[in-house]
Amino acid sequence: MTRTLFIGLDGATFTILDELTSDPYGEGVTMPFLAGLIASGHKAPLRSTNHPLTPPAWVSLMTGRNPGSHGVFDFVRFKDMGHDVYFTLYDARDIQDETIWSLAGRQGRRIVSLNFPMMAPPPDIEGCLVPGFTSWKHLRRNMRPEGLYDRIKAIDGFDPKELAWDFERESKIGEDMADDEVEGWVRHHLPREAQWFRIADTLLEQENPDLFAVMFDGTDKIQHQAWHALDPALRPAEPSESWLRLRALCLGYFRELDGYIRRLVERAGPDAQVFLASDHGFTASPRVVRINRWLGEKGWLTWRTAGDSEAEKRRESANFAYLDWTKTLAFCPTPSSNGIAIRVARGPGEPGVPEADYESFRDTLVAELKEMRDPLTGEKVIRDVLLREQAFPGAAMGDCPDLTLVLSDYGFVSVRNVAPVVSMRATPTGTHHPDGIFIAAGPGIAPGASGRFSILDVPSILMHSLDLPVPRNFEGRVPDGLFAREVRVGPASRRMSAGTAAEPQVADEASEAEKLRILEQLKALGYLED
Amino acid sequence: MDLAKVQELVFEVVAGLVADWDLDAEIGATTRLVANLEFESIDIIQMVVAFEERLQRRNLGFEKLLMVDGRYVDDLSLGQIAAFLHQRLAVAA
Repeated sequence: MTRTLFIGLDGATFTILDELTSDPYGEGVTMPFLAGLIASGHKAPLRSTNHPLTPPAWVSLMTGRNPGSHGVFDFVRFKDMGHDVYFTLYDARDIQDETIWSLAGRQGRRIVSLNFPMMAPPPDIEGCLVPGFTSWKHLRRNMRPEGLYDRIKAIDGFDPKELAWDFERESKIGEDMADDEVEGWVRHHLPREAQWFRIADTLLEQENPDLFAVMFDGTDKIQHQAWHALDPALRPAEPSESWLRLRALCLGYFRELDGYIRRLVERAGPDAQVFLASDHGFTASPRVVRINRWLGEKGWLTWRTAGDSEAEKRRESANFAYLDWTKTLAFCPTPSSNGIAIRVARGPGEPGVPEADYESFRDTLVAELKEMRDPLTGEKVIRDVLLREQAFPGAAMGDCPDLTLVLSDYGFVSVRNVAPVVSMRATPTGTHHPDGIFIAAGPGIAPGASGRFSILDVPSILMHSLDLPVPRNFEGRVPDGLFAREVRVGPASRRMSAGTAAEPQVADEASEAEKLRILEQLKALGYLED
Repeated sequence: MDLAKVQELVFEVVAGLVADWDLDAEIGATTRLVANLEFESIDIIQMVVAFEERLQRRNLGFEKLLMVDGRYVDDLSLGQIAAFLHQRLAVAA
């Protein structure tokens, strides 16, 4: 019997859901089932990780630990080799804390986990796992258990190309699009979500696991590009035909999503506790901040000239920094990182800031970033600059950029070499806000509304719902008053080796100076014994 | 592991990767990832993961194969990959 149903809604926000579960514009109630669930259950805003981004936030929700501990900070990770920087993707082997799928599984609970990021290559779990953010070409070998792909393939209407992540298409997030392009974007995500629903519905019926978890991410993708058709604050006084068409399409998506939620809740049965949560919220970003352009103008970064080959051209247009690494002291690796990595020289004559100058260089950078202004309005464009040891404390923080920027509109930076450094978009795009959603309903859940929960609370809540003790090293808690039943605290979750780190490795050339500096930072903060 | 065995492993892993891709290409030492197997960047990352999983090792140093003089290579043959892996595994042994 399914005890716990968890539905992840990537990027869902009460800014939108409050409207869609009521009828402020005479459009009808778009999400009547969700409205009923909220009315009978418990809701709270949910504060994301310090950098509210899909991979670190969902991994925190799965591990109960902050990114400085679990080790996933972005989609892309980089390896600084001195004269070159190699970029690749984070994957499941980079998660350094145990997930709730594993924790629950080794305590006798059966799990189904669908479409969560950073779940490939798939860890062994007691149940079924289909990772999210995986190309259709690699789905078969990234599912667990073996043979699951063929079971899913037998589902009527299954189309791996519709279901899976299209890296090229999704890289266009944040780009300016005309309304007709956005319409195409939304239309693309409708069948994708339907594919995930059909798999979820089938596996919920066939497997009947203790914990069933599925994540729908169309919410995030649609809000990124069609935010102006959804945000009540941006609603035009006299909507154009194309705006009305786009809005109707978006509402159609949310209406479908409401149906999927209803059918999964009904399939789980009246005894199941139901939880919905997002990894972050959403808001409008009207401004572009080209952070590498700014670093270049300051003389801390040098651009690379691309060669003529197709690979070079593809690399130059990719959404990660393409620089002359021999002359670059600081850079933003990817737009999604919102980070700045400071390069520390490995020795005399090597590229980077001398070790002894690191602190003063960082202080200068922070001070200048905080003074960056929009030349048109004079407004500061950076709300905060987070130091990694403060924002992401833990054994893995050395993999995090030295600085994380919180832009004044919560937008993502651009890494392109385009002038000017700061400009306004033709239409505000949707960006991640730190406050997402939490909703709970079902037997044993106290109805009502609460102040803000933390995303780190969600795994504690799910463990408790499964009648399992909450690991004592989880950073979140089960909020008071959410459940009638008393919370049990149990042994800590396991620390995972980084991937197959226990296996022999070819010598890694990471800077010893860098490692020592991070150890010093951790010691200063009390995370390590002297 | 000798070169012939490494080559065999490379063919097997790559054949497994492309099994569902509806390609009509031979797998051999001269087979090229982009030209013959229609690899994109993400497929190369997945291939690296597949080798690491199969060999139960990370940090095999694939960046040394994929980047030459700071620039990403246009294409690679399975023979080149096998030779690289053979050399890296010898270093690690």
